[in-house]
Amino acid sequence: MRVAIVLSILRKELKETLRDRRTLLMMIGLPVLVYPLLMVGLSRLQESQTEASEARASSIAIWGTAPASLAAHLGEARHLQTQPWAASSDAVRAAIDNGSAQPAEPIVEATDARRGTPPPSLRDTLREADNPVLAAARRALTSREVDAVLVIWPGFGTQLDARGLATVSIYFDSVREDSRLARERAVAALRTYREAVLDARERVLQLPDGFTTAVDLRQRDVAEASRRAAYALGALLPFLIVSLSLFGGFYAAVDLTAGEKERGTMQTLLCAPVRSLEIVAGKFLAVWVVATVAAVVNIGSLAATMARILPAGATAVPPSTFVLTAVMLLPITLTVAALFVAIAAFAKDFKDGQNFLTPVYMFLALPAGITMLPSVELDAWTAFVPMINIALLVKSLLAGEARGELMFLVLASSGLYAMLALLLAARVFDREQVLLGGKESARALLGLERRHGGVPSPSIAIVVFAVAIVLGFYVSLSLQDRGIITILLATQYGLFLLPTMATLLLLGFNVRETLRLRMPNVIGTVCAVAVGATAWMAVSGLTVRLMPPPESLTKAMERFIQLGDTPQPLWVVWLVLAVTPAICEESLFRGFVLSGFRTLGRWPAILGSAVLFGVAHASIYRLLPTLLLGIILAYVAWQTRSLVASIIIHALNNGIVATLAQRPDLARLVGIDQSSPTPSAAAIAIAGAVTLGALFTLSRLPPPVDDL
Amino acid sequence: MPTPSSTPALDARLLVKRFPGVNAVDEVSIHVHPGEVVGLLGPNGAGKTTTLRMLAGILTPDAGSVSVAGVAMHEDPLAAKRRLGFLTGDTQLYQRLSPREVLRYFGELYSLDRGVLEARIARLVDELEMSSFADRPCATLSSGQKQRANIARAFLHAPDVLILDEPTTALDVISGQFIVEAIRRERTAGRAVLFSTHIMGEAEYLCDRIYLMHSGRIVDEGPLDDLLARSGQANLTDAFLYHVRVSAVRA
Repeated sequence: MRVAIVLSILRKELKETLRDRRTLLMMIGLPVLVYPLLMVGLSRLQESQTEASEARASSIAIWGTAPASLAAHLGEARHLQTQPWAASSDAVRAAIDNGSAQPAEPIVEATDARRGTPPPSLRDTLREADNPVLAAARRALTSREVDAVLVIWPGFGTQLDARGLATVSIYFDSVREDSRLARERAVAALRTYREAVLDARERVLQLPDGFTTAVDLRQRDVAEASRRAAYALGALLPFLIVSLSLFGGFYAAVDLTAGEKERGTMQTLLCAPVRSLEIVAGKFLAVWVVATVAAVVNIGSLAATMARILPAGATAVPPSTFVLTAVMLLPITLTVAALFVAIAAFAKDFKDGQNFLTPVYMFLALPAGITMLPSVELDAWTAFVPMINIALLVKSLLAGEARGELMFLVLASSGLYAMLALLLAARVFDREQVLLGGKESARALLGLERRHGGVPSPSIAIVVFAVAIVLGFYVSLSLQDRGIITILLATQYGLFLLPTMATLLLLGFNVRETLRLRMPNVIGTVCAVAVGATAWMAVSGLTVRLMPPPESLTKAMERFIQLGDTPQPLWVVWLVLAVTPAICEESLFRGFVLSGFRTLGRWPAILGSAVLFGVAHASIYRLLPTLLLGIILAYVAWQTRSLVASIIIHALNNGIVATLAQRPDLARLVGIDQSSPTPSAAAIAIAGAVTLGALFTLSRLPPPVDDL
Repeated sequence: MPTPSSTPALDARLLVKRFPGVNAVDEVSIHVHPGEVVGLLGPNGAGKTTTLRMLAGILTPDAGSVSVAGVAMHEDPLAAKRRLGFLTGDTQLYQRLSPREVLRYFGELYSLDRGVLEARIARLVDELEMSSFADRPCATLSSGQKQRANIARAFLHAPDVLILDEPTTALDVISGQFIVEAIRRERTAGRAVLFSTHIMGEAEYLCDRIYLMHSGRIVDEGPLDDLLARSGQANLTDAFLYHVRVSAVRA
């Protein structure tokens, strides 16, 4: 791929895009206008509505006979306008007057107790069976004749005088704003009335203050105004960012692919001395720039609007959070741009392109909407869900609660999805039929035709890796209660070895050649054993000093190495922890992936497979050691052309570490004890020398004759 | 008539392209020598466009080979494409760029040196009388102006071989004449020109040799007089219809 050509294409695409008013509007105009209008407009509307309804007095129908004290109390309450018998029917009035109407028994569901619903006496609203009073109140409220109905049940005055329990009911309509307000006001008035009555009773009976209250319950919201603002923002912002940055790239993607086909310029471009990969790279970068600019403008506009409308000091979100949020956009915009370019390339004209991308847009934007729910938070489960994970990460960043481990998972998985989307885009642009407007089977497009021998391509290697990792992650999460041994065996055999073998066999690749199933020669074997015995010491000695893991991880690893809370017999440990991963992980990483990357050259293949191996361990603290081990394993496999060599190293490496964890007497030999969890400096130096010596020996090996 | 040199500038052998259910192109061999203008004639659906696309390296043939100025398309597609100019009658330009910007863009794609590129653009703008519209957005140009800008784009890198797919379609007589003259100029400059058309008069006037194509196959080939003599017809149209009938009888 020639950078100059890619830049030429990118420059031209951007120039064209910037001259397109539609894209500009979506990219810059919309966000610049939408937020101020939306926020200022909404808050104004809400303010004026609230002001209007609060200024207005609530009209409350009083059904029944209020004792003079209550009537006077209600009459004095602000914004309450009492209307005796308003909107009642003759029958109801007669029933209350003659004492035959009684409060209905509240309905208690059998499930209430199980759900932890408080008893009726402590609930804000109750359900009751249909009765004439309820029906009359419902009529009065839905016809909007009054805002609330206060029923003073027969015997209210008598009960009060006798220091008994006097009952009133408030009927309100929760769907009507003014009815909810009327209810609040009536409740407040009745509360103060009750206080007055209780005070009087305490006085008369000469009871101590607080006798009737008994428990003074105080509540205080500890969230600062700033955090409350961030919370409100956190609910909305991630969704907005995702959907609007999607929107920004939408038109550009359609224009640069389907639009180019429609105008007949795609063919001209294809007959120029340009590789299809260069075309897709230039176009993808152009869409990515547009989507990123759109997203940044969105965030900027939102930040500016927030700063304007929030009172000073309430702009809780520090600028650094906005910067961090903008960084989070990288994986999301990369994925979206690649996906949009790949899919829009199938469309034959602009309209077609819009039709193709709209469902994709909905599919990506709508799930992001669920991140607005307060209960949806970033955790191990959501960290792997494309788009949602980023939205949730932005949400937790805004709330100041983002955790490093989860952030790593989100970025690693998002990077993986972006890579898959890019591969798809590159693949689509390699299909001449698609670019010229013809049809192409999905099977051919996705490269699922059966091969006749050979090794997988880099893209197939990445796809198989991605599928294995994402599935493996979810399977181990869902098996969490089954114990470490089950999880390990299931993921290793089921999700590393099985997909590797299935892909090789179903697509007809050469299994021996891909997995390099052959014995290393004597020197190779000796070197592999030497590296397997020493590399762990050098690598862990180095990385623990560079990046000390947190205690939680060390504890988790200890538990992991013992295969549970109680140590397992050593042969089980070796089988599950050493031999199994050696076979399964080596088949995937040093077999399938390394062979897939082989066409890229020695070092790109070794480093690429090592990066995937590191990422697969799904922890930022284990990234460095596993990356280093991945490089060593891949180098040995490459030099000896034998998977057996790297299996030996992997099994020894895991087995020795697990053995030392169980046998302190052996661990002390290399300087590991209670006081120092890592080997002594001398042990590390010797181990490093042996490892490097073995690797050097391997580098001098004559390239083995390819006998496969 | 210029004498063609011995090695063809464009040499296609036994090209095959199958689409689901059809053999669009079936063992077609075409060669064009430097300084030669060759016509590819056939009705709609004969496989002309598919053939030309394979020759231009836009479509990969299922079988057969293409070489441009001695470079095999399947071995070094970029080098082969650099020696080749391609133009179709329905080619559009980038609507929001001006012809000059389009030419600069393609100059970069062909890795032309900046100074050489600007000089070429200046010459082509002059030769093709484009100065009045060279800096206007392509969306505002007439179809004749667009096609002139397109010719400039195809000739920009001074290719050894020109492949023109119905270049005069949708043009009025005067604009069409512009292209015909441009083709004659290129022949004089020693380029190999292959163009497809269904306007028989154009072919009779321009072509040194003609390939007749029908149902994905070449049914006859040679200078105009030979074609007429073999078919016993007085003009190219009748000669062509004769071949269509013959192949229908054979089928």
